[in-house]
Amino acid sequence: MRYQIVIAGFGGQGVVFLVKVLSICASKRGYKFLGTENHGMSQRGGSVSSHIKIGDFHNPLIDFSQADLLIGLDKDEALLNLPYLKKDGKVVVNAESFPKIDAEVFAVDANALAEKGIFDAKGLNVFMLGITLAKIKDFPFSTQEVKEAIKEINPKFAAKNFEILDKAIEYAKNI
Amino acid sequence: MKLTLMGNEAIAWGLIHSNTQMVSGYPGTPSSEILTTVQKIKDSKNLPVYAQWATNEKVGFEVAYAGAIAGVNAAATMKQVGLNVASDALMSASFIGNKGAFVLIVADDPGFNSSQTEQDSREFARFARIPVLDPATPAEAYEFTKLASEISKKFEIPVMLRSVMRVSHSREIVEIDDNFEFKEQKGNFQRDIPRWAAVPREGRLKQAYEQLERIEAIKKYNYENLIKSKIDKLKGTKNLIISSGAAYGYAKEVVDELNLDVDILKIDMPYPLPDELKELVKNYEKVLVVEETYPVIEEELRSENVFGRMSGHIHLVDEMNKERVLEAYKKIGFYEGENIYKPYFKVEDVNQRKPNLCPGCPHRDVFFAIKKVFRPKKSIYPSDIGCYTLGINLEAIDTVLCMGASVSMAHGLSIADKEKTVIATIGDSTFFHGGIPPLINAVYQKAKFILVILDNSTVAMTGRQTTPERENPQVDLKKVAEGCGAEVMEYFYKPDINETIEFFKKVKKRYQEIDKPLVVISRQYCVLDKERAKDFLPGIFATVDEEKCVACDVCTTQFVCPPMHYNERGKIEIDPLLCIGCGVCISGICPTDAFIPRREK
Ligand code: SF4
Ligand code: SF4
Repeated sequence: MRYQIVIAGFGGQGVVFLVKVLSICASKRGYKFLGTENHGMSQRGGSVSSHIKIGDFHNPLIDFSQADLLIGLDKDEALLNLPYLKKDGKVVVNAESFPKIDAEVFAVDANALAEKGIFDAKGLNVFMLGITLAKIKDFPFSTQEVKEAIKEINPKFAAKNFEILDKAIEYAKNI
Repeated sequence: MKLTLMGNEAIAWGLIHSNTQMVSGYPGTPSSEILTTVQKIKDSKNLPVYAQWATNEKVGFEVAYAGAIAGVNAAATMKQVGLNVASDALMSASFIGNKGAFVLIVADDPGFNSSQTEQDSREFARFARIPVLDPATPAEAYEFTKLASEISKKFEIPVMLRSVMRVSHSREIVEIDDNFEFKEQKGNFQRDIPRWAAVPREGRLKQAYEQLERIEAIKKYNYENLIKSKIDKLKGTKNLIISSGAAYGYAKEVVDELNLDVDILKIDMPYPLPDELKELVKNYEKVLVVEETYPVIEEELRSENVFGRMSGHIHLVDEMNKERVLEAYKKIGFYEGENIYKPYFKVEDVNQRKPNLCPGCPHRDVFFAIKKVFRPKKSIYPSDIGCYTLGINLEAIDTVLCMGASVSMAHGLSIADKEKTVIATIGDSTFFHGGIPPLINAVYQKAKFILVILDNSTVAMTGRQTTPERENPQVDLKKVAEGCGAEVMEYFYKPDINETIEFFKKVKKRYQEIDKPLVVISRQYCVLDKERAKDFLPGIFATVDEEKCVACDVCTTQFVCPPMHYNERGKIEIDPLLCIGCGVCISGICPTDAFIPRREK
C-alpha cells in the first residue's frame, strides 16, 4: 500500500485538521505514514499545504508527479499544487470551475453552498473531505473510519462535523 | 503505546521518558512545540518538571545548564538562529561538562521557510566539540532524544539533538514507552571550583585536553553502538551512499524507487565520526554523501573518492528534495534513466498569496499610521524579527537583521543619516529578548530616534507562547523602558485608524521637543489570541460599495488586509470568510469611503 495525498488551502481553512484526521485513520489501520505541513509566514490567509504519505516511506515530502490525490480547499491553491499530482491522479477542489486536465477532477463550489447556508463555512474542510469520500474510489479510508478519527480529535464538535460530512456525501451523489 | 505525533511532540516525550526535569528555551519555528508539549505532559501527569520560556536562548541555555551542573537531567530548546545567541554559553559548557544529562535541542530550517538564514547546527556541534544526533523521522526523534540524554550523562558532556523542519513538523506513528514512571532527581550542587569556575589558564588547559580525550572516546562509542551493526549489513556493492537525518529519507526513497544497486549507510551521530568509517570508504569506488545542509560528514571523510556538496555533485543552498537527489545520482553516475520527479502538470497562472499580516492585525494600523505621519521620503524604518516583519508588505520596514537589532540599527542609522527621522519597530517579546541592551546603549550615548514596541503580549508568530509581562505583570515594559532612561509614550490600541494616526502626530510633536530616544509602547492584541482578541474586536465586518470604489489601489498597496482583492468588475471585494470584523478599513482607509459595514444575515 502506497498512497500520497496533497491538501492545499490557506490559513484559517483547516488544512492541518484534515492531516490529523487522515493520520489517525492511517494509524488505526496499522498503516505506516509520514505527513508534513508547509506554511508561509502568515497564520491566517497565507498558503498552507500538507503532504501525507501512507505506506512504506522514509521522508514526509511528496515530490512532483507523485500524488495520487489533491484536495484543494481553494481553487488557486489547488492550481499552485498541481505539479505534485501524478498523471491520471485525482483532484477534489472547492471551485466553480476547473481547467480540463489529464486527471479526474471533482469541482464543487463549496463557498457558494456555505454562503447559501447549506453548511457552516467553518466546516469547509470537512465538507471537502466528504466529497472526497463519496467520489474517490481508491481513497484508503471509509466514512466510518473518518468519523472515528474526527471524534477522537474533538468529541465536542463531532456531531456537527458528522452532519457536514453526511451532507457532503449526499450532495456528491448529484455530481 | 502507539501515538500519532509531530516530531516536536515526540522529542518532548523523549525528554520526559529520560527523566528530564528542567527544560528551558525561547520559541522559534520550527522548534517551539517541544517546550509547549513538555508543559502539557507535565500538567496532565502532574510531574515535578520545570518547563518555562526564557527571555532569550542564551538565558534559557544557562538556566537549564545550571540544572545539569547540579545533577538533574536538563534540556534547552531553540531554533538554529537561536543557537547563535546561545553559542557563547555552549562553547564554555562543552569544556566544563555536566553531571546530570544536558541535551541541547536545536531545530534547523533548511530552505529558510521561516528563518533569516539556513544554517547547519551540526557545524556548531563540531565547533564546540560535542556529539550531535541527527534523527530522520519523528519516531527516531523520540529514540534519539533518550539516547542523547544517556550519552550526555555517560560522558558528562552536552549532547546536541539536531532536528530539521521536516522532522520537527512532520507526523508519524511513534511507539513510546509504556508504564513509564518519572523519577524525580534531587539537585545537589557539589562544590568543585576548579571544574565549575576554572579561570584561565591552568584549569581551562586541563579541560581542553579532557575535551579532546572525551571526543575520542565518543568516536569509539559511535562506532561500537551506532555504526558497526549497520556496516555489517551492507551488501558490498561498488558504490556507497552515506546519509544522515532527514536527508536519508530522500536518499533512501530515491534508491528504492529507481532500484539502484548501491549500498546506503545511515549515520545517526554525524559528529564525531570514528576512524573505521574512513576505512570503510576505501572499499568503495565512489562514495556520495547526502546530508542537509552543510558538508559536515563530507568534510570529516574528505578523500578522493568522496563526493557531495564540496565536489559540486549536490546543490549548495535550499531544502533537499528527491528531484535534487536524483540529479546528484545522475551527475555521479549512479543512475542514467529519466527524471521521474519532473512535474507532469504545470502550475497554472494564478495569484500567489504573499505572506501577510493577519486580517484585523493591529500592527497593520500602526505601520499605516507611522507612514502617514512620518513620510517614507523623510524617514527610515528599521524593524526586527517577528510576525510584524510582514509590515514589509506595507513598505513600512527598511531593515531586518536579527533579534533586537532594530534598536541598535536605529541608533546607527540616526548617526549616519541625520536628515531623516528614524522610527524603529520591535515586538514585545523581541524587545525582552535582545532589545534592552541596545536601548541602554542608545540612551547613555544620547541617541535620537523613535522605538515603537508593538506589544501584543504574546510571541505570536511561533504559536502564541507567553511573554514575561503576560506571565507576571511585574515585568512592566513601560517601567523597563523608563528604567533604561528612555522617554515613554503609551498608546492603548483602538480599531480606528484616525485615533492611531492622531496618536502618532503627538509622538512626532514630542519627538521634536526632546533629545533622547523616545519609546512608544503600543498596547495591542493578536487576532489569534483567543483569550484577549474578543475584547478588542468590535465585530464590524466590511463590504464594498462598488459605486464608490475608483480602483485607486490605496487599500491593496498601502493597507493590504488579506480579504481585499479586485473582482472581475475591477472593483475591490472583501472575502467574507477571511474578514475578521475589526472595522478598521471602514474607519477611514479608503479616500472615497468605499468600505461600508456588511449587514449580517
Ligand atoms: S482604497 Fe477604496 S477606492 Fe481605492 S481601491 Fe480600495 S476600495 Fe477602491
Ligand atoms: S474589517 Fe476591513 S480591515 Fe478589518 S479584517 Fe475586515 S477587511 Fe480587514
